[in-house]
Amino acid sequence: MTKFSVNDRPVEYRMDPETPLLWALRDASNLTGTKYGCGTGDCGACTVDIDGEAIRSCLVTIAECEGRFVTTIEGLSRDRSHPVQQAWVAEQVPQCGFCQSGMVMTAAALLRKNSNPGDAEIDAAMTNICRCGTYPRIRAAIRLAGRVLRGEERIAAAPPPGIRPEDAARAIPALRPPPGR
Amino acid sequence: MAGIRDTIDTKGRRLPPVSRRSLLVGATAAGGLALAWSVWPRDYRPNLTAAPDEHVFNAFLKIGDDGHISAIVPQCEMGQGVTTLLPQIMADELGADWRTVAVETAPINALYTNTLVVDEDSAAFMPRTGVPDFVADVRSWARREWAVRHAVMLTANSSSVRMFEAPCRDAAAQARALLMMAAARRWDADWQQCDTQDGFVTLGARKLSFGELAAAAALLELPAEPVYRASSADPLYGKDLTRLDLPAKVDGSANYAGDIRLPDMVYAAIRQGPFGATRLKRIDRKAGLASPGVLSVVEHERWVAAVARNWWAANRALDRFAPEFETGGTPISSDGIDRALAAALKGDGSRIARKGDVEDAMAGRERIAADYLVAPALHAPIETRTATAAPSGDRLRVWVATQAPAQCRDAIARATGLSPAAVTLFPMMAGGSFDACLDHSVAVQAAIIARQVKRPVQLCWSRAEEIMRDMPRAPARAKMTATLNAAGGIDALVARIAVPSTNHEVRARLFDGTPADVAQRDAAGRVDAAAVEGAGGVYAIPHRAVDHCPADIGLPTARWRGNADSYTAFFTECFVDEMAARAGADALSYRMAMLGQAPLLARCLLTATSLGGWEGGLAGTAQGLACHSMRGSHIALMATARASDKGLQVEQLVAVVDAGRLVNPAIARQQVEGGLIFGLAAAVGATTDYEGGLATARKLHQIGLPRLSQTPQILIEFIDSDRDPGGIGEIGVPVVAPAVANAMFAATGRRIRRLPLSAHPL
Repeated sequence: MTKFSVNDRPVEYRMDPETPLLWALRDASNLTGTKYGCGTGDCGACTVDIDGEAIRSCLVTIAECEGRFVTTIEGLSRDRSHPVQQAWVAEQVPQCGFCQSGMVMTAAALLRKNSNPGDAEIDAAMTNICRCGTYPRIRAAIRLAGRVLRGEERIAAAPPPGIRPEDAARAIPALRPPPGR
Repeated sequence: MAGIRDTIDTKGRRLPPVSRRSLLVGATAAGGLALAWSVWPRDYRPNLTAAPDEHVFNAFLKIGDDGHISAIVPQCEMGQGVTTLLPQIMADELGADWRTVAVETAPINALYTNTLVVDEDSAAFMPRTGVPDFVADVRSWARREWAVRHAVMLTANSSSVRMFEAPCRDAAAQARALLMMAAARRWDADWQQCDTQDGFVTLGARKLSFGELAAAAALLELPAEPVYRASSADPLYGKDLTRLDLPAKVDGSANYAGDIRLPDMVYAAIRQGPFGATRLKRIDRKAGLASPGVLSVVEHERWVAAVARNWWAANRALDRFAPEFETGGTPISSDGIDRALAAALKGDGSRIARKGDVEDAMAGRERIAADYLVAPALHAPIETRTATAAPSGDRLRVWVATQAPAQCRDAIARATGLSPAAVTLFPMMAGGSFDACLDHSVAVQAAIIARQVKRPVQLCWSRAEEIMRDMPRAPARAKMTATLNAAGGIDALVARIAVPSTNHEVRARLFDGTPADVAQRDAAGRVDAAAVEGAGGVYAIPHRAVDHCPADIGLPTARWRGNADSYTAFFTECFVDEMAARAGADALSYRMAMLGQAPLLARCLLTATSLGGWEGGLAGTAQGLACHSMRGSHIALMATARASDKGLQVEQLVAVVDAGRLVNPAIARQQVEGGLIFGLAAAVGATTDYEGGLATARKLHQIGLPRLSQTPQILIEFIDSDRDPGGIGEIGVPVVAPAVANAMFAATGRRIRRLPLSAHPL
C-alpha cells in the first residue's frame, strides 16, 4: 500500500496511508529539506519530484505514491552539482532559504522537460511563494541553469559538502592539516 | 582556550561619546543614581565554548590550530545575510583568507547587546523635546545600561551592521594584534612592524599562519591602544562575496527549528482561540485521543496541543478534540477596527513633532485635506512558528528562531518555573520572520508541552494558526491637511495619524511577558512616537506637525519589516503627489523644490528618474514617484503601473539607494530587491479581514501575496558613498505603495487612498 522509492531507495512507510507524503518524508524519513509552509498546495515549499513531475508533497498521500519514484532535494544531486543548484548559488538566489528547496525542485522539473523555457513558461511553472522576494533572481538562475544544461556555459559556484580537512589544507595556504594525520 | 579579556563598552558605539565622569556628574544631578552605578556589573566575559584545538580571542572570534576562524554572529539570520556580513567585516580587519571563515551563532551574553536599537527605539518612543540635555543623557545612559543588564540582543530596525560593524572590527583588530605579537616574539621583532594578509602574519619575507600562532597569541595581553589594519590592496570589505549560507540553502541541509531531530521526539500541533481575553472552555478528549497516531493532549488556559508520532496526525487530531474557546468583550472585527481608527482620528491626539507654527500658518487660509486608510499587514513568512524543546530533569533545551534570545529564554523560564540558567536556547535561522520572531509564544508553548509529556517535542503552527494568530503590523488612518503658498508649494502640513500604540504593546510582551490582550488594553490611549515614525519627512516645509491619535482597535499589533515608515511614507508621498498635481507641477520638480536640505535623497530621486526615463508625470504615463529616508539610508523609487483586465499590474520598479558604504554590495542589492517585493506585497495584499476575533483568511492564497508572474522588472542602483553604513533591510519597503499609487493616478486619473491598493475597485 505504501511501498515506493525515495531518492532511489525502496521504502515502506508504516503510517496511516492517508498521511501526506510531506510528513512521511519529514517525520519518518527525516528528509527535512522538504518544507511545510501551508499544507494546502499554495506555497510550494514542499515540492518534490514524483516520476518527473514537480508535485506539492502536502497534497499527495503516501497511498497515492505506491510504486512511484520520489526524489527530494536531498536526492537531486549528491554534491550540489545539479545545474539548478549551481545556478542558484551563482545568482545568489536564496535569502532566508526556507522556500528554496521547493523552488529548486520546481525549476529542476521544468528544465528537465524544456531546457530553454520562455518567460511565460517560467511564470507558469514557478507558482511557489517566496516572501523574501527572490523572484527576479529565480528567473535569472533558471536561464543560467538552462544554458548549463544545454552545454553553453559551465559554473562552479557552490562547493560540494564534506570536503576533507586534508584536501582543504592542500588548497588553502592558511589552513593546516589536522594534527595526527 | 585562554586569553579571555573582553569587557563591554557600556557607553555604546556610534553615539556622542559620554565619559564615565560626565555620566557620574549627570547621574548625581538626576539624583541618587551614582550609588547604583558603582554596584552595577561592569564586566562581562565571553561564554563561548571552544573545541580542544580552538582558542577564544574575544566574544567575536575563535581561531583554531588548523587556521580556521570562527566568527561569532550575535544576530538572527532571517535572510538578511548577517551571517556573511559580520564575518566579512571581521575577516577584512583580521587579514584572513575568506575561505577559512566559519560562522557560529552567539550564546546569550550582555557583550552582544544591541544598544543602538534600544537607543533609537527609545528616542522615537519618548521624544526628548523639552527635556534638559543632561537629563536626556542620563536617560540614554541608564537605558543602555538596562539593555546590557538584560542582554537585549535584538535583531531589528535594520541595525545589524550599523550596530556591530565597530565591535566586529575592534574584535578583529584585537585578535590581529595578538597574532602579530606572537609572531614578533618568534622572530624577535617589533610586532608593530608586522602585517597580516590571507591568514598569515607577515614581516618582510617572513610569514607564519594564524593557525600556527593562535595558541600562543590567545595567552598574550592586549596592547593599550587598538591598532587597525592599514587599508589593503584587495579588501574583503566592499566585495561581492557569496553568502556563506547559500550552499546549505540549495541542498536542503540548512536547518531551521523544525528540522531538529532528537531521539524519542514527538510532534505537536496547536489550536489557539480568537484574539482577546480568550480561554479554552472544553475539548472532546475521548474523540481526540481516539484519533490515529495520537499520543497525548496538553491543555492550557489559552490553547490545546495534540501530540502524535508525526505532525500531520497531531494536527488532524485537533479537529477531533473540537476545542471550544470563550472570549470576553467585543469580538474583534474589521468594521470595529475601522470605527476605532476613525474615532481616534476625531479625538485628541498628541503632537509628536512640530516645526514652525501650523495653526498660525493655516489660519484663515484654504485647507486641503485627504484621508488615507491602511489595512493591517501580516508577516506571513513561509516558515510557520516552530520550536523544538527537550527536557532533561530540571533542565530544558529549546531550538527556535528568535530576534531577542535572552527575552525568549526568560519567557520560557517564567512559563515553566525554571530558572533562566536551566534553559538552554539554541538560536536557529528563521525561515523569513520580518519581525515575527520577536514573538516567543511558540517557544513557550513547546517548552510547556515538552515538560508535560516528558520527552522532546517539536511544535509547529499550522498555516491557519499562523495567519489567525499573527499579530499584524498595525492598521492606520491618516488625515493629511495642507495650506499652499502662492506658487502652489506646501506652506504648512499637518499629519494626524490614528494608529494603535504598538510599541508599548511590543515592549510589554517582550520584556514583561504580558499576554497580548492585556498588553493591548494597557497600551490603549498611550502616546507612541514610534507609531508615527517617518511622518516628519525630509521636505523643507516651513510649518509642519505630526500628531499621534492612539487607536484602541482591540487587535494586538506588532513590529514588521519597515514598521511605521511603511504607512507614514504612503501618507506623505501620496499627499505630496496630490499637491503637485493640484499645483499643475511635475511630481519630480515639486519634490526637488522641497529637498534643498536633503541632498542625498535629492540625488537618489534625480538618478532614479533619469534611469527610469521620467516623462514628467503627465496623465497617461503610468509613472509614479516616491522617496523616503530611514535608518540612515535614502531611497527614491519610480514605479510604472497600470490597471489591466487582470487587475493592478506593476510593470517596473526603478530604485536608487544611498545606504552609505556597503559591506557586501551583492547582499545589499538582494535586500533592496527583497524589500521592494515585500513592499509590493503590502501594496496589493498581505492582509486579512477580521471577524469574531479571528482572521477571516485561513490559507496562504487568500492573503494576496505576489508570485513570480506578478513580479515587475526591477532595476536597482546604489550611490557610491563613504558614509557610515545605513540600514538596508527595510529601506525598500515603504516607497513601493505610494509610488505605485501615484503611477496609478498618472495612468487612470484616479487616486487610491487605501492599502492594499487592490482593495479599491479599479
